[in-house]
Formats: sequence, C-alpha cells, structure tokens
Amino acid sequence: MKPHASARPVRGVQRLNAVQPVRAVLLALALCLQAQASAQVSVRDERGATLTFSAPPKRIVSLLPSLTESVCALGGCALLVGTDRFSNSPASVLALPKLGGLDDAQVERIAALTPDVVLAATSARVIDRLESLGIRVLVLEPRNHADVQRSLATLAQLLGRPDEGARLWSAIEQDMREAAMRVPPALRGQRVYFEVDAAPYAAGAGSFIGQTLARLGLGNVVPAELGPFPKLNPEFVVRAQPDIVMAAKANLGDMAKRPGWAALRALQRGRTCGFASEPYEVLVRPGPRMGEAALTLADCLVQIAKVR
Amino acid sequence: MAEADRQRRVRLVVMLVVLTVLLLVAGLAAGSDGWSLRTLWATLWGDEAGLIVGQIRAPRTVGAWLTGALLGLAGATAQGLFRNPLADPYLLGSASGATLGVVLVLAASALVGHGISLATADALARIGLVAAAFAGALLGVLLTLALARGAEQTTRLLLAGVVVSVVLAALNDLVTSAAPDALRGKQAFLLGSTGFLGWASCAALGAGLLLALPMAWRLSRALDALTLGEDSARSLGLRLARVRMALVAALALATGLAVSQAGLIAFVGLVAPHLVRRFAPAPHGFTLVASAAAGGTLLLMADVLARSLIAPQEVPVGVLTALLGGGYLLWLLRKRRFA
Amino acid sequence: MTGASKACDTLCAHGISVALGSTQALRDVTLTLRPGWTAIVGPNGAGKSTLLRALAGLQRADAGSVTFIGRPIAQWHARALAQQLAWLAQQGEATGELTVREVVHLGRLPQLGLFTAPGPADEASVDAALVDAECTGWQYRRLHELSGGERQRVLLARALATGAPWLLLDEPTTHLDPLHQVALVRLLRRHAARGSAVVSVLHDLSLALLADRLVLLADGRLRAEGVPGDPDLHAALVDVFGGALRIERLGERWIPVAQLET
Repeated sequence: MKPHASARPVRGVQRLNAVQPVRAVLLALALCLQAQASAQVSVRDERGATLTFSAPPKRIVSLLPSLTESVCALGGCALLVGTDRFSNSPASVLALPKLGGLDDAQVERIAALTPDVVLAATSARVIDRLESLGIRVLVLEPRNHADVQRSLATLAQLLGRPDEGARLWSAIEQDMREAAMRVPPALRGQRVYFEVDAAPYAAGAGSFIGQTLARLGLGNVVPAELGPFPKLNPEFVVRAQPDIVMAAKANLGDMAKRPGWAALRALQRGRTCGFASEPYEVLVRPGPRMGEAALTLADCLVQIAKVR
Repeated sequence: MAEADRQRRVRLVVMLVVLTVLLLVAGLAAGSDGWSLRTLWATLWGDEAGLIVGQIRAPRTVGAWLTGALLGLAGATAQGLFRNPLADPYLLGSASGATLGVVLVLAASALVGHGISLATADALARIGLVAAAFAGALLGVLLTLALARGAEQTTRLLLAGVVVSVVLAALNDLVTSAAPDALRGKQAFLLGSTGFLGWASCAALGAGLLLALPMAWRLSRALDALTLGEDSARSLGLRLARVRMALVAALALATGLAVSQAGLIAFVGLVAPHLVRRFAPAPHGFTLVASAAAGGTLLLMADVLARSLIAPQEVPVGVLTALLGGGYLLWLLRKRRFA
Repeated sequence: MTGASKACDTLCAHGISVALGSTQALRDVTLTLRPGWTAIVGPNGAGKSTLLRALAGLQRADAGSVTFIGRPIAQWHARALAQQLAWLAQQGEATGELTVREVVHLGRLPQLGLFTAPGPADEASVDAALVDAECTGWQYRRLHELSGGERQRVLLARALATGAPWLLLDEPTTHLDPLHQVALVRLLRRHAARGSAVVSVLHDLSLALLADRLVLLADGRLRAEGVPGDPDLHAALVDVFGGALRIERLGERWIPVAQLET
C-alpha cells in the first residue's frame, strides 16, 4: 500500500519566491509530509502487508486472546471496542462485546462497531470478508519468543507508543531471568514433556513454551525438528521417559491409565506439574504474561525438587 | 458360474487373511522410530518388549482391527437395512449422540453455574469419555427410534436419523460455545484416534463384536429378502418391524462401541462393504462377515500408516481412512460402476 | 363381521375401503375369490393394485375387512399366511447383488423361516420353479445383468418357489414379450387347473379374457364380475373404457377389439 500523501495548496509559497519555484515547492512538500508523518503510523503485519494509518487507531477489535492482552499491557485497553469470546484477561475486557471465535467471528457485529483496525491470527477465515468490507486487518500470530517480541513492537508502533514495546519485552525478560534463577540447580538439564492436548499434542523445543523451558535451563523430549506442537505417537513419550511431565491437571490425572504410561517414572515418582485451568491459560498464551508463565513453571519446579 | 462365485469368495477371504496377518506384524513393528523389522526383532528381545510391544503396540494393533471390524459390520448392516449403498453406520444419530456425550463430559467443569450443579459436573467427569460416548451413541439411536415411532418404515427411520443428528449437533455447538475449552477435545474426538487403545479397550471391542456379529448374521437372510422390496419381504412372512429393530440394535451396539473407543472414524463403514461387493458379490450371510474383516483390515492399514508416515509424529487416523476410502470411491466413480 | 363373511372359506374382501393419502383408492369393495384364475381389470387408477395388496395383507383397510379361510387376515401368523399366499410386486424393486438362483431361494423363506438352512426338498422346489418360469439357463447370473423381461420371470419363479396355493400377481406380464406372455398364461392356467388359485391384476384385456373369471374395478368400486362370456360383464367393460372397445367372440375365446370409428 502506498503511503497516502496529501499536499496542501502551494500557491502562497510560489508567490513568495518566483525565482526558484522548484526548490520552494519541494520545501513546501517536505514540510507538509513531515507534519503528516508525525501522526502517521505505518506497520507491517505477518502477511508482509504494510498498513498505514493517518493517526494511531482509536477503535480496535482483537480476535486473539494474546493480542488482547498485548494491547492492554501496552496501555491501549481503553481503545478496545470488542474481542473474541476466548479473551478473558485483564478483567476489564470481559465487559466488551464478544464477537465469536476464530471460525465464527460475527462479521456484522464487527462491522457495526466501526473499528479502525482488527487484530487477527493468520488462520482466521474472517480476514478476507472484513477486508472486502473496507475494514483494515492486522494479522499477527506469535508462535515463539521472537514472534512475541516482534508483535509487541508492532502493536506498540500501532498504538503510537513505539518505546512501550521494548519496555514491555524487557520486563518479560526480567521475569524470565528471575524465574531461571529460582529453578533449583539439581533440576537443570532435565527433560520435560509438556502436553498441550490429550491426543497427545506436545509443546516441542521450538514452540514458545519450549523456549521458555529452555530459558529455565530445562530440556525437552520433543526436539525442535518435529515442529512447535506435534501430534505424537504415544509410544514416543513412553520410550523417551521424560524426567518431568507437565500438563493440565485434568489430563494429568488420567495419564497413568493410558496403555503403557504407568511405566513413566516421572508419573510414578510424582515429578509432575498439573496446572489448573487459570494458570494453564497463562502458560499457553504467547503474550505479555509469558514472564508470569515462566515464574509459574519455576514455582512448580521448586515443588518438584522438594518432593524428591 | 456358482463355481466362479465361490472362487472369488475364497480369493477374497485368503487376501483378507494374508493382509491382516501382514498388517498385524507391521503393527507390532511400527513404532515411534518408524518401521523396521530389525528394530522389531531387537525390541522383542529387549527388556522394553513387555512394555512397548506388549502393552502399547499389540493392543493398539488388535484394537484397530476390532474397531474397523465393528465399523465394517455396522456399515454393511446399514446398507442392507436401508437398501442404499451410500448408507454409513452413523446414519441413525449415533455420531452426534456420541459427540454430545464427549462434549458434555469435557465441558462439565466449565458448565458449573451455567445450568448444572457442581455435583452433576463431578459425576459427569467421573463417568469418563468412553462411557459418555457409548451412552451418547445409544441415546442418539433411541431418540431416532422414538421419533420414527418404532422401526415401522425405513424412510421415516432415515428422516428421523437425519433430524436427530442435526438437532444433537446443534446442541453440541451450544455447549461448546458456553464452554470453549471443550472445543479442542471435541475436534480430537471427531478426527478419531487409535492411539490409546489398550487391552481393556480390546476386551470391550471384542465382546461387542462377538455379540453384534452373530446377531446381524442370523438376520442376513432377512436382509437378502429386503433386496426384493419391503412389500415382497413382508409377503414372505418376515416380521419387518422386529427384524429392523434387531438390526438397529446390532448397528447401535457396534457403532457405539467403535465410536466410544476410537472416536468418529469416517469412511470405514461406508467403504468396507463396497470393497467386498466389488471383489465377491454374495448374499448378506457372506457380505456381513466379510465386511467386518475388510473393515478391520482397512482401519488397521490406516493405523499402521498413521504411525509410520511421519514418525514419531502421527497423522490423525481419520484423515488416512478418508484418503484411503475416499480415494477408492473416487476410483470407483471413474470406472462408473457402483457396487 | 356379517354372517356372509363367516361363510367365506377362501379369500374374501368384505366392504373394504382404503384411502391412500388424499385419494380414496377403494370404496366399499366386497369380493369373494374362488379357486381358478381370476383376473382383476380396470382403467388406470381404478385401485387394482391396492385391492391386490389389501387381499395379500400388505395394505390395511380403513373400513371393512379381508378374510382368508374364515379368519381375518390381520390375525394370521405372518409365516403361516406366507405359506398360503404368494405375492408378486408390480414393478421390480429388486436391488442388490443376488444371483437368480439365490433370489428364487428367497421364495422358500415362508417354509424355512430365517434360521433353518435349505435342504434337498427346497433345492427341488427352486429347480421346479426355475423350470416353470423358464429361467434355468441363466440361474447363476446376477439380477441386475438381466433384461426387464428376464427379471420379471425370475421374480415370478420366486413367487412360485413358495409352493403357496394362492398366487397374487400384480401385472405379471410387464416387460414380457408375446412369446413369454403366452408361456405365462399357460403356466397360470396349469397352476389354476391343479386346484390352486391365481389372482392377477392385468391391464391387458386380451389376456384377462383368457382367465376363468374377471373382476372389473372402476374408480375404486367393484363394477362387475363374471366369466369371460358374461354379457353384463361385456357391457360394463365397454362402458368403463368409454366405448373405446367392444368385446367379440373368436372361436372359443373373447377378444377386445379397438373401436376406431366413433
């Protein structure tokens, strides 16, 4: 998309200096553009598209919980006019209109809210529909730490507060360093199996969860080559004999009943982390609460070291 | 001519037996490190043998065959009962019912306060996914029978099945929108998975097969008579309502068990009878049993492939059955011959 | 139940009325069928098939009743009735992969039930039926490989294989070429001569006039019945078919002749 430049009338400038009209015109144009540019916001999204706004958007719709949290963490909570049904943090967004999920976003309601921009994930079907209605869509789907950092920077720029992004990221980094320090040295290097779904889907070393675990000094039974969230053959986990098993509390309770899984030493010795639904939600969202997630993981590891 | 028919049947049986044996061995060999007979040999004599082969691979392999057999039997029964080669085991509301059962259990904790008490949620969660899916499947079929007011007329039964499926699916969506956490579990269930079939599952599946197969087989001559048309079948002295009821019961049992253990696996029930009819057309006495065997082989093949293609990752088995089964149907269409 | 119905010891309809959807297919039809070959005739939509189905116990009457050997047909045990009455459907609704022989074997169901395996006596019945219907040559071919006429003969063989004394046939001559129509008529007459009863719905009057008795239906009502030579029957036929034909004698037989001149 080309930057949209509106030139103010230059007749006055021409009368001033008739001898060097070209230079004067150029000067005037430069002045105009600079005046625009100070308010203008230009961001690049994950599709490679560049969106330019004449001023930071004042009405934002977010269709991904991690993006909702990011916007609020960057101080833009008041600008949100609607979210998807899964966004539930911070508490202030609960009052906002819920506009459906990834697959069934309510296009009409979104359009009725007249947002300046809609934040969505790559996999949202609604993107094409919204764009054909003339609504701007910024596509961001953070999958690992680098993605999160980049999306925070993008959102910060979008909100007209470019420095906030870097500041927020360093706060997250600070939390992660703190969490890494809390991890008992005896547990360093131990291999973790982090289950995200009972199919089983695991968080691999390349996912943001895996990266956080790596920051805490832990290994992963699922190597990065398998992708961020591979669907595994259950046999793989049994053979891998992870040192620590992490999952949602409900899934963890049933794990020993799976054929062959009773043999997992981690389960036998209770070296497990079972997360209730609230902390679990924090763990699986690649957003501004990743630092908090790291601290939660560290606390669980401290408990495991005691159990030994 | 009868001789030619008999030869085709023998050939089909031999082929199925050989394939099954090969696939059973393959199933024991296919693990998280891909597929190799040498590692199988090593594993068999290693100290992990009891665990890996005995507790994980063997029951999963046998379970996959049993599930496929139940689905193949159910599919052949449905196609004979409704005299429609496109009928599948999920026609009478069993699929939506099972999904609803699963979703209710998954969403139990989230639904507290929305309409059910903590005690109910607790009870639901304790029932477990398997039992909930089985109960749901049976309830779906019962609802269909109630709506069709018994098994008097086939068209009414079919229509009732469609209505029940749609209504229960809508209820599913209602529950998942109130409790979005259940959505992922529901998707996994819908895709089907043989991943966690242990010996307990095999026992349940085997018992179901031992019940449903003879039940349907004894009524195979009734299915033959039905091919002449309902009035003709009745004029031959058949009590159609009773026959249909018994067949629907066998269908519900087989489908409910398969679905509760392995989720909604598509195409096996539809394609297995077609395969049998293509290679060895025969009366239902043969077709029902052969469809069970063919279904077992088909699902076992899909399961082995699911494990081997991108080891240690797994392709959802429902995707492979759709590819295998759908591919076969496409090929059939090209040859323009319908079994 | 009237006294007259109690006296009926064959297949009888007592004032039956049947409504199919919004149309009244049969109105108050009372009929006693006797051994021999009876042909039911009438224009399209007269209710012939409905009458036959009601007689076979496949269609419940809204009013009146059908009795067979003194008992209401609804009270007959399904298999016992099937051993006495064999019914042939009007159009081939047969689907599936069965061979001709397997289809004819289904005719033994009334005798065997669902769970008994066929024995040599049943094989003999099947063979005899195949011979009667002239299908022996292709008994191992599949039903869907046959032409319409061949299929019709197979289904007829199936009805014959039941060994039932009463044959209720709905349009048995559909798809049959003249050679096989004649063969069928000969078969029906043989069957009737043996003491059994044949009731056939026929739209072809020239064949119907070869039967022992005719029953004329029009508009759901019984219009006339009698032997082929009955002049009242002839008058009724001419009337019902709108004067489009007349009945003439040809040797020992009666034939319908199209009335082309108005």
